[in-house]
Amino acid sequence: MSRSTIILAVLVAILLTGPMFIVVPMSFSTAPSLEFPPPGFWLGYYRRFFSDPNWTGPLFNSFAIGFGTMVLAMLFGAPASFALMRHRFRFRSAFRMLVLSPLIVPHIVMALGYYSYFGSLGLVQSMTGVILAHTCLTIPVVVLTLTSALANFDRRVENAAAGLGARPLTTFRLVTFPILRPAFLVAALFAFIHSFDETVIAIFISGRDSATLPRQMFNSFQMEADPAISAASSLLLAAVLVVIGARWAARLVKPQPARAKA
Amino acid sequence: MAVELTRPALAAEASALPARALLVTLLRPPVILYVPAALFLAAFFLVPLGLVVWMSVSDPEFGFGNYATFFASRYDLAVLARTFQTAFVVTLASLVFAYPIAYVAARRGGAVGGFLLGVVALSFWTSFLVRTYAWMVILGAKGPVVGLLTALGVSPPPRLLFTTFAATFAMAHMLVPFMVLALYAVMKRIDESYMRAAASLGARPLRAFLTVYFPQSLPGVVNGATLVFITCLGFYVTPTLIGSPQDKMIAGRIGQEIEQLLDFGAASATSMILLAAALALFTLYDRFFGLDRMWR
Repeated sequence: MSRSTIILAVLVAILLTGPMFIVVPMSFSTAPSLEFPPPGFWLGYYRRFFSDPNWTGPLFNSFAIGFGTMVLAMLFGAPASFALMRHRFRFRSAFRMLVLSPLIVPHIVMALGYYSYFGSLGLVQSMTGVILAHTCLTIPVVVLTLTSALANFDRRVENAAAGLGARPLTTFRLVTFPILRPAFLVAALFAFIHSFDETVIAIFISGRDSATLPRQMFNSFQMEADPAISAASSLLLAAVLVVIGARWAARLVKPQPARAKA
Repeated sequence: MAVELTRPALAAEASALPARALLVTLLRPPVILYVPAALFLAAFFLVPLGLVVWMSVSDPEFGFGNYATFFASRYDLAVLARTFQTAFVVTLASLVFAYPIAYVAARRGGAVGGFLLGVVALSFWTSFLVRTYAWMVILGAKGPVVGLLTALGVSPPPRLLFTTFAATFAMAHMLVPFMVLALYAVMKRIDESYMRAAASLGARPLRAFLTVYFPQSLPGVVNGATLVFITCLGFYVTPTLIGSPQDKMIAGRIGQEIEQLLDFGAASATSMILLAAALALFTLYDRFFGLDRMWR
């Protein structure tokens, strides 16, 4: 591969990421509106972000809704993954379609559906409503993650446990789950992030008291009223950087075994 | 003989305790594993989706009036055409940017590959809202691009924000990571020895790439293009925030029909048209490639 190809790829990659970082200087800017370069720097927007209930409320709600979604999506998604990968049953392919279909339907369509459905159930503008909606959209994420882990799972270890006299539940607790624990953790993390990040449905069905962080950000963008948005954006960007940085650091410390080619 | 005796006995016991027999069936895998998820999705996914279908033909009156109105409206047809056109441009642009990144990352591991994948991951996991905000700053009236153009003597500087151009550009930028991951997944499995064989048979690098590597990477291109195109069809946040308020895309139009016009029938019909477009593309993909591979 020629050097120019590599340089091209690196340049494109930098162009891809570079623009995002403009939110960082903006968050320290003293300008009340979108002005770049900033006329001066201060920490005021961070102070505002962490003291204004218009921001702390949605931040808390997003964590609560993300956590609730994660628990529910794992409770429904993990057994569904085992059913799909390890059992033959009559409605298997229909069930598979059902589980994956939330990935296909555009969020705006579901937002409209939830808007009127939760209206009739009395769940509109409630956290419960957002959690139920997010769970549906997140189950496929959990199932995709766990089924691909299960596809690579060597069932002979389970047979060995059974041969040694372990009952199915004991085998699951002592053998299957510990081996799959990383996949379960990743699936749960994906579920949380998926909910934490979801914007469209939250805009339409979360109310003033159950507003999520993305909804509050979206509304601020539209009004262009609250510059604390730049602090919120920088914090989200920082969170992603920390997670990716931590993974990178972990890989540097502990070299991973070469992965077998699929 | 013993078997002959026990079977009727068991059957008798089961019929004597039908509730218990039912319970045993329900608690046994796989029923206990898939029924809860199926019921949950039926109640909180299929029903609201069905509601949209129902509203599209029943609100305000029963019939296909909402669809007739959509297809008779020059405005709505323009929205539909613009949506497809934008999705096409976005898909093409993201492919052009993603291909070199995925190609180098897949063929050269090491520090360069790690850097490229790290950068893509950073962009992939950062919220659409944050990235849209970045483009609001960059393209804004007081932003660096306008500042640069003014300094270069362009006056008055062109309006960049709140245009279809801004939305298209930002969406292409946001969907590049999706495209890279789809391409990378396929490219990683292309056997290096083909390229060495091509080189040893005298093919120049460009020719080897075009005749040997590129055709093998096409499944990734199709995967990525389908994913990006369909995501783009239903994109709401970015076009609403930085796109042109007059020249809406279809998701923005649905939002407007819900929030400003309070016309649920029209919103539902528009939703069904968007859904039909997405489903048609997925079905086409499934026909030729199999849906299972889409998210792998």
